[in-house]
This record gives sequence, C-alpha cells and structure tokens, in this order.
Amino acid sequence: MKLWAYIARRLLLFIPTLIGLTFIVFVLSHAGGNNLVLAEYINPRLTGEARALLIQKLTDEFHLNQPLYIQYFYWLYQVLQGNWGFTNTPIFSGSVITAIDLFFPNTAMITVVASILIWVIGIPLGVYSAVNRDSATDQVLRVGSFTLYAMPIYLIAVALILALGVYLKLIPFAGVVNPIFVSNLPWYNSGISYPTHVLLIDSILHGDWIVAWDAFLHLILPSLTLALAIVASIIRILRASMLEVLEQDYIRLAWSKGIAAKLVYNLHARKNALLPVLTLYGLTVAGLLGGAVVVETVFSYPGIGYWTTQALLNNDVGGIMASTLLFGLILVTANLVLDILYAFVDPRIRY
Amino acid sequence: MEIEDKQIDAEDISALIKKQGRRWDNLKVSISVFMANKTAVAGLLIFLVFIADALIVQFFPQIIGIKSPNLLVPNFMDPVPLPPSPQHPLGTTYPGIDLLDGIVKAIRIDLAYSFFVVAVGASVGAIVGIISAWAGGIWDEIVMRLTDIVFSIPYLILALAVGFILGRSLWHMSIALALTWWPLYARYARSQTLSAKELTYIEAAKAGGVSSTKIMFKHILPNVLPPIFIQISLDLGSIVVIFSTLAFIGFIPNANIPELGYLTSLGLNYVQTAPWAVLFPGLVITIFALAVNLLGDGLRDVIDPRRRS
Repeated sequence: MKLWAYIARRLLLFIPTLIGLTFIVFVLSHAGGNNLVLAEYINPRLTGEARALLIQKLTDEFHLNQPLYIQYFYWLYQVLQGNWGFTNTPIFSGSVITAIDLFFPNTAMITVVASILIWVIGIPLGVYSAVNRDSATDQVLRVGSFTLYAMPIYLIAVALILALGVYLKLIPFAGVVNPIFVSNLPWYNSGISYPTHVLLIDSILHGDWIVAWDAFLHLILPSLTLALAIVASIIRILRASMLEVLEQDYIRLAWSKGIAAKLVYNLHARKNALLPVLTLYGLTVAGLLGGAVVVETVFSYPGIGYWTTQALLNNDVGGIMASTLLFGLILVTANLVLDILYAFVDPRIRY
Repeated sequence: MEIEDKQIDAEDISALIKKQGRRWDNLKVSISVFMANKTAVAGLLIFLVFIADALIVQFFPQIIGIKSPNLLVPNFMDPVPLPPSPQHPLGTTYPGIDLLDGIVKAIRIDLAYSFFVVAVGASVGAIVGIISAWAGGIWDEIVMRLTDIVFSIPYLILALAVGFILGRSLWHMSIALALTWWPLYARYARSQTLSAKELTYIEAAKAGGVSSTKIMFKHILPNVLPPIFIQISLDLGSIVVIFSTLAFIGFIPNANIPELGYLTSLGLNYVQTAPWAVLFPGLVITIFALAVNLLGDGLRDVIDPRRRS
C-alpha cells in the first residue's frame, strides 16, 4: 500500500470515530432528560422571565420535543457552530468556550512539559536498563518502575509534595504563583493572566522575571507528577523492546564488524526499539489527559482537569460534557497523527 | 457381545484414569512453575491477606472489634490528625478517624467494587468478543468500531461523565468503570477466538454439525478463559487504583464511607503536618496493586508454554 493510500484509509476511519464520540457525549448529556440539556445551555446567571423565554427558545432550537436521533443532528449543528453551552463553577461561570479558552492553555502547558520529561527520563533509563541487563541498576529501575506503575497518581503527587515541598522546602506546591507577586499586576485578574492565560509565558511576554521564576517553580511539581505517573510504563516497554532488538541478526552483524558499543546501542538498536514506544504513545496521551485531571485537582492548577472536577462537585453538566468532548477530540486527533507518523517511520506498518 | 462391551468399559476407565493423571500432572507443573517465581508467591500471599481482611470485615466484624463496617467513625472532639500511637497504631485523619480502623473497613469496600467492575467488564467483554469474532463480517466490524469509540475518550474522563449522569455513588462509579472497561476484554477475547477458530477440532465440530452456540461456549470459551483470567489479575490493580482515584477527586458525595481514595483525600489538607494521613491509605492501595501485578505476572508464566517445558 502506498503511503497516501494508508493515510486516506486512516482519515476515512477517523470519521466514524468522530461521529461515535459526539454521539456518546450527546447520549450522556441527554440521558437525564431535557433539564440537563437546558442546564447546559442556559446561562446560570439568567433568571426570571428571560429564563423562561430562553427555555422556550432552546426547546424550539434543539427540537427537544422531537425523537432523540433527530435531536442529535440539531445538537451537533450547535456544537459545530461553537455553541457548547454554559458552565457554572466556583472557578469560572459563563460560556464553555470561554472556559476552554482560559483553562486549556494551562493543561497544554503541563502535558507538554510532562511529555518532554517522559522522553528525557524514560528513554535513557529504558535503554540503560536493557543494555546493562540484570545489573544492580537494572534491578533497581525495574522494581522502581514496577512500584511507580502501581501507585495512584495522587500518591505520587503527595510523595513529591512531601519530599520536595515540605521536607526539602525546595519548591512551592499549590496553585500557579505566590499571590503576593501578582496582586497588583494589570495583566493578571482573579487567577487568570493575559493574553495567553499561561502565567509563565505571559510573565515572560511582559518581561516580569520574578513572576516568571515563581510560575516556573510552581510548574515543576504538577508536570513531574504527571511525567512520573507515565514514565514507568515507557521504561518497561522500551526495556523489553530493546532487549528484543539486541537479539536480532543485524545487531550481531554490527558487533562482528567491530562497531563501537555506543554506536550499536544508540544508532542501530535504539531506533528500532523506539517503535513500540511510539505505538503505545497513544495510550500515553490517554494517560496524560486522565492524569491531568487528578494532578490539576491535587495542585489546584487552573486547567481543564481542575475545571472538570469542580464541575463534578457542583453538578455542572456543561463543564463535564465539554471536557469529555474536548479530551475525546484531543485523543482521537493525537491517535490519528501518531498512526500517520508511525507509517512514515516504519514502512512495514503499511502492509 | 457382553464381554466386548465390558472390555471397552475397562479401556475407557483406564483412559479416564490416565487422563485424570495427566490433568493432575499438568496441575503439578503449573503449581511448580508458579512456585518457582518467588515474587509471584509473595504477590499471592499479600493478595490473600487483603481477601482475608475483606472476608472478616464482611462476615465476622466483631472478632476484630468493628461495629459499623460501612461507616467511618469520626471523633469531632479531636478532629486534627494525631500521629501513630499505641491507641491509634496508624494515627488518625481528619476528623478524628482512626486510620487503621478506616483502612481495614475500606479494603473490603474497594475490593468488592473492583471485583464487580472486572467481573462485569470481563464477562460482557468476553461474550461480545467471542460472538463478534465467530459471527465475523459486518457484526465484527461494528463491534470493533464501537470499542474504538469507547477508547476515543480517556477512560478516567469517560467514567467521570457516565458516573456524573448516573449520580454520584459507589455503585454508579463501578457501573461507569465497567462500561469503560469491557471493550478491552472484548478485543482480547476476539483475538483469542480468531486464533481458536482455526484449530482443527473446532473445524471438526463445525463439520460435525455442532451448533454455533455450543461451539462458542463449550469449545472456544475454555481457550479464551485463561488469558482473560490473567488479564483480570493484571487489571484488578489498575481498577482499584482508578476506583480510589475517582473517589479521591470527589466522586463520593457524602462523607463517612470507608474508601481508600476518600480516606486519602480527608488528610490532604494536613499533608504538611500529618503526612501519615495521606501516605498510609495511599500505600495500602499501592501494595495491593503491586501484589496483583506480581500475581498476574506469575500466572502468565504458568500458561506460557516456553516456561512450562
């Protein structure tokens, strides 16, 4: 199969997945009857006659008196129009799209930093563990990654808070910044910074290095927690696949040609050993997004995950459904991109 | 004629004895393979301790002095967490809950609901997977696309959303988790069935006119079950962890339910002054997850033909 044919096939498979994803979210948000739908689209601050009028208008607009499968298309039309409803939580109250605009950059920030940390920590350790098989370091790494794999994310977070925050007093462990630094800043307002909403980037843009440093310190623990929660499985997979690759004929050939060990490991073996890691990166994305919910909640970090748990605690259907849809969209898109990347990297997959 | 019949009977019986002997040998090999793996045995022992705890709290709570197995006992006179002491071996957490008492009760609840999740997920998944692979064609395609769709939402988020719609309670949380978990087993059972379908004796059964239902559940299911059981033992740890994570981020609405994630969250505000209040419940979950993972690895060795020989 040609590469373009593979990509075309993969893109075609993307469509039913998208339809299914939106359908699941639709069914979930309509399973509780019309009141849930109305709650999602009525601005929580709206009261009295205006509210009654809006209910009437929404009933007409979404055809709430029609069968569900017809309602789906009207709902989908609204979602495509960018009308994702309203949310009412203590950290934000208003349009869902605005909430995503405010919170998503923060989630993107910690997941990206965590992904970088995963690669930086995971790949050398996985390769080292396989190359020095059954050495003391390998044993420690195996036990360590096995334990880390079994730990709930919140326990990793608590352990890091205790070790780095409480005992060593190295880094702060709540929120995004020390409130003293940002109390009178013109570009910071009730926990939200402008224009990108990521405090670290904003403070650099405004040239405020004290805030930037503090924001950076506050970023370490959430991203490190998220990275550690996932790096264990990366180390395990990479170790196993590296061991498999090292058994292969072309590696033996490289040895017999007298190529230096460093080159054999880093140039010949690692490239092929990374392929299964890349395939499983789809799972990593799912783990990162799910983990972000827990991490952001523990550290009161204002991202999509924190907003989601706030929505859960405040019975806010708009927030829950929007983040389900958003996380789903991110995951399917990431999987699509990874599959295509994988076909580029490993031609064998196309056949 | 009579003599011939008897002879056949005798042959049958000796064959049966031989067969049972082989089965017994088989079991002996399995046990010795498992016992050779020391970490797996340790995993099994820890697992049994947890099970024993759950059973005692369920059936004989008075033996270990537990009066209300389904409720935490707060002490509002002394709500701030106290460090471990002879009176409270693991210390207390907010509001004055004895941690040892809370953890012993919570293990039963966590285990019970997690078993429910894997049992429902695995049975629904196995049935769907076997039927899908056996039927093939369009049905197979539909089921696989359905699992794709369930996988398209991170499981923690999907469980959150489903649980939110059902209403926040332990039962709904487990139902939500089972709903997000069955596709994994469906895919697993499907791939096992696809390879079992090619086996000669299945072909023979088909040629002999055995009904599809009978082939699926009498001949294919025994092939599919062992790998599924291993998957269950590997998953049980993840499920307990996710179950407690959902409770930790606030899924349980009202207080007083002994659940390990919830117990951890109670101590979270005191993490600086009372680290034991968050570490102990969290460690208990980690130990359980570790133990079942080790156990699962050991069981995998048992059915691995390379290890058996």
